[in-house]
Amino acid sequence: MNQTDFPSADINFTNFEAQPIHISGKIQPHGVLLVLQEPELTILQASSNTSEVFGISPSKMLQKKLPEVLDEFQVERIKAGLTADSLDFINPTKIWVRKKGDEYLVFDGVFHRSHDGFLILELEPALSQDNIPFLSFYHLARASINQLEATSNLRDFCQIIVQEVRKVTGFDRVMLYKFDDDGHGSVIAEEKLDTMESFLGLHYPESDIPKPARKLFSSNWIRLIPDSHAHAEELFPSINPISQQPVDLTLSILRSASPCHMEYLHNMGVGASLTISLIKEQKLWGLIACHHQTPKYVSYELRKACEFLGRVVFSEISAREETEDYDYRMKLTYIQSTLIDYMSQAENFIDGLVKQQPNLLELTSAQGAAICFGNNCTVIGDTPKTEDLNFLLQWLKNNVQEEVFYTDSLPKIYPDAERFKNVASGLLAIPISPKNYVLWFRPEVIQTVNWGGNPNQAYEAKETETGVRLSPRKSFELWKQTVRLTSLPWKAVEIKAALELRKAIINIVLRQADELAQLAHDLERSNAELKKFAYVASHDLQEPLNQVANYVQLLEMRYQDELDEDAKEFITFAVEGVSLMQTLIDDVLAYSKVDMQGVEFQLTQVETALNKALNNLRTRIAESGASITYEALPTVMADSTQLMQLFQNLIANAIKFRSEKPPEIHVGASRLEDAWLFSVQDNGIGLDPRFAERIFVIFQRLHTRDEYPGTGMGLAICKKIVECHRGRIWVESELGNGATFYFTIPVGGRERERRNGRKTQNHLFSGGQ
Amino acid sequence: MSVETGERHKIIFLVEDNKADIRLIQEVLKHSSIPHQVVTVRNGMDAMTYLRREGEYADALRPDLILLDLNLPRKDGREVLAEIKSDPSLKRIPVVVLTTSKNEEDISQSYELHVNCYITKSRNLNDLFKIVKGIEEFWLATVTLPLE
Repeated sequence: MNQTDFPSADINFTNFEAQPIHISGKIQPHGVLLVLQEPELTILQASSNTSEVFGISPSKMLQKKLPEVLDEFQVERIKAGLTADSLDFINPTKIWVRKKGDEYLVFDGVFHRSHDGFLILELEPALSQDNIPFLSFYHLARASINQLEATSNLRDFCQIIVQEVRKVTGFDRVMLYKFDDDGHGSVIAEEKLDTMESFLGLHYPESDIPKPARKLFSSNWIRLIPDSHAHAEELFPSINPISQQPVDLTLSILRSASPCHMEYLHNMGVGASLTISLIKEQKLWGLIACHHQTPKYVSYELRKACEFLGRVVFSEISAREETEDYDYRMKLTYIQSTLIDYMSQAENFIDGLVKQQPNLLELTSAQGAAICFGNNCTVIGDTPKTEDLNFLLQWLKNNVQEEVFYTDSLPKIYPDAERFKNVASGLLAIPISPKNYVLWFRPEVIQTVNWGGNPNQAYEAKETETGVRLSPRKSFELWKQTVRLTSLPWKAVEIKAALELRKAIINIVLRQADELAQLAHDLERSNAELKKFAYVASHDLQEPLNQVANYVQLLEMRYQDELDEDAKEFITFAVEGVSLMQTLIDDVLAYSKVDMQGVEFQLTQVETALNKALNNLRTRIAESGASITYEALPTVMADSTQLMQLFQNLIANAIKFRSEKPPEIHVGASRLEDAWLFSVQDNGIGLDPRFAERIFVIFQRLHTRDEYPGTGMGLAICKKIVECHRGRIWVESELGNGATFYFTIPVGGRERERRNGRKTQNHLFSGGQ
Repeated sequence: MSVETGERHKIIFLVEDNKADIRLIQEVLKHSSIPHQVVTVRNGMDAMTYLRREGEYADALRPDLILLDLNLPRKDGREVLAEIKSDPSLKRIPVVVLTTSKNEEDISQSYELHVNCYITKSRNLNDLFKIVKGIEEFWLATVTLPLE
C-alpha cells in the first residue's frame, strides 16, 4: 500500500480524547472489584463476575458486609491494615476465598480509596509460579544498576532498561517511549523477539496517547492488560447508590482500557500489555511499554517491582538527561566562545563565523545558516535560495521586533516558506540591526527522523467494516501529517547561545563602526589639511616666488647698462627657475584638486567637453597645424570639468610629442558591456612600451625639459581623473609610430559614486600607481 | 608708517605686511605721473586704527585709494575689507585687493564684501608696472568719486 493513501480524516480523534475512561464502570475479567463503604465495609457495587469467585451473584452481594463474604479472621486483619496511614502496607494482601468445601482460591487483594470517597477492593488471582518476586526484583534492580555504572549515554542506558524488563517479565516486546515537548512521542529503545518488526525510531502523534489516557498514566504508574481480547465486566449497579454517579476508577488496577486502545492493541497483534509510567517533575516523561502476542498475566508483586524500577532507575535517567543537557550546554558555550574569538581575529567578523571549525551551524545544531549584512548574504550549509532569502528578510523586517525570533514551523506563519520546507521549516533569527540578520535553518523534521524499518512493509492501516483502524504504521503516517512543515524544535539552550552571539556581534560591529567613524574623521581631517595645503601652495608659496622674480627683474631693468652678458644669463636662469617652480606648483595644485569628493557627476555630453578642451588649446593647435577629428561621442555620467581637462591633457600631449609630420589626432568612442571606451590616437613620436606604465606616475618624465617642457604631472592628472570615475587608462604605442591613449568611463557613474564616494580620498603624493 | 610727499597729494593707503612687496610697489609707483603720497601700515589692526583716526593716527589723512593685501597679521585683509565696507564714513573709499591668491573663494568672498577691484599680483615685473599704472590711472584720475 502506498504511504500517501491513508485517509487520515476517517478517525475522529477528538472523540478519542473526550472519552471518560476512568468512569467507564468496566473492569477486566481476570479479577473481581468490590466498592465498599467504610467503616462497616458494606458492599455497594460489585463486578458482575462475582458468581465465579464467590458463588454469589452480584445482586446478592449488595448490602452484604465484607465479613459475610470472607471469614472474620481475614477481615480483622484487613481492618487493622486499613487504619494505617498508607494502604501500601497491606497491598497486596493474600486473600483466601472458599469456593466450595476445602477448595480455596487465593487472590492478591489490593485496596485503594477512590477520589469520590469509597474503598475499592480488587482481587487478582495469585499465581503460584510468581511466588519469587523478590528474587526477580533483585535481579532486575542489580543488573540494571550494575550496567548503569558502565553506560554513559542516555540511549544505551534506556536500552539496558528494556533488556532487563524483558528478561524479568518475559514480554515479547519491551519499548521505551519518550514524549517530546509538544506531546508527540518516539520509541528510543526496544527489545523484542527477533521475528517481530522493529518499532525503534518510529514517531507517534500526540493523539495516539490522548490527554485523558496520559492523565491516567500519571496517576496510575503501572497498567496491566493481561488479555486484550477478554470481555469487560460491568459493575453492578452501574451507578453508585450513595453518590448517584459512576464510581471513579482512576486508581483501579483492573479498570478496562478504552475500546479504542484495545482496538489499537488488536491491530498491532498485541494479546497482553504492561505499561510503566516514567514521571519527571510531575510530568509524564515517557513509558515503558511491554507487549505480548498472546494473553499474559504478571503478578502484582512483579508489577510493583517494575514500577519500583521505573521510579528508581528513572531518577537515574533524568540525571543522565540532565547530564546530557549539561554536556550540550557546555559544548555550545565552548563553540560560542570559539566563534567570538574567530570573529574578533578575522578582518571581517563574518569570515570568523563561517570559515573555520566549529562554525555558525554548530552553535545551534542547524543545517543551514545565513549572515545577511547590507545587501550581501553569506550562507553556509543548506539554505533557501538568495531570492527566497531576500523575501524572507523583508518579511522579518516587517514582522519581527524582538531580539530573537524562532519557530519550528515557519511555513505556518510565513506560507511562502513551504517552497523551501526541505531546508527551512525551522527558523531561528537574530536581528543585529533592523537591516542585518543572522539566520539559522532546520529542514522539515521528516527529513531528519530515523526510520526504524522498511516503510513499505507491514503495519498498514487495515480496512474493516468499521473503517480504517489505527496501527503503528498508520500512526506514523499520522504523525508525519502532524509534523509536516515542522522542524525539530529549537532548544532553550540553543536560543540562548544565539542571543549570546548576537551580543558579541553587536559589540564587534559597534567597535568596527567606531573604528570606521574614527577613520572617516581622520580622513576628513587630512582632507581639510590638504585643502589648507592647496591654499598654502597657491598663496604662501607663490609670494616668495614672486618676490624673487620681481626683484631679479627689477635688478635687470634698473642696472641693465651696468650688467655684463654673464650677469644677464644668470638672471635669465633665475627667472626660468622661478617660472618652472610656478608651473610645478600649479600642476600639483591641479592634481590635488582632482578627488572623489570634488567630482560632480552629471549627464555630460562628451562632445561638449572635448570642444571646450580644443578651444583652450586653440593657440597650440594653430601653431602646430594639428588636425583633430572625432567620431560620434556619447553622453556619460561624469564631471564635465574633469572630462574636459582629461581631453585637454591628452590632446596637448599628442601635440607636444609630435613628429616631423603635422599632428593628426583622432578621438574615438565605443561601447563596452558596462563602460564607454574612449581613445585618443596620434601620429607622434610614440614611446617604448616599456614606459607605458611609468608615464602615468607623478613627476615621471621620459625627456629632459630642454627637449620637451613640462612637469610630468599631465598624465598623472589624467590617470587620477579616470580613476575618480572608476575607469581605467592605458597607452598602446611603439616608438616612432604614434600612440593611442585609451580610457574607460563606466556606465552608471552616479551609482558607483554613491557607493564608493567616501572611500577614495585625495592623497596628494600617492597618485602614480 | 612712512609718508612720501608729492606735488598734488593723492593719498594711497597701502596695507601690506611684506617689506619686499611694499618696496616693490613704492618702486613701481615712483614711475607714476600722478602726484601722490603712499601711507603704509603692515597689519590689519593698524589699518583700522589709521582709517578711524584713532590714537597716534588722530591727524591721519583720509586715503583716496586703499591697496589691501588679504593675508595680514593680527587682523586679516578680509576682516579689514568687511569693516571698511560696513563703516558709513569709509565705505566710499575705493579698495583694491592686491594679492598673490588666485583662490576662487578669496575672489568671490572679496566681491561679496564689496571690494572695488581684485587683482592678482604678477611675478612678471612688466605686468606689475602695467597693473599699478592701471590702478592709479583708473582710481585716481579717471573715475569721479563722491566727496567725503
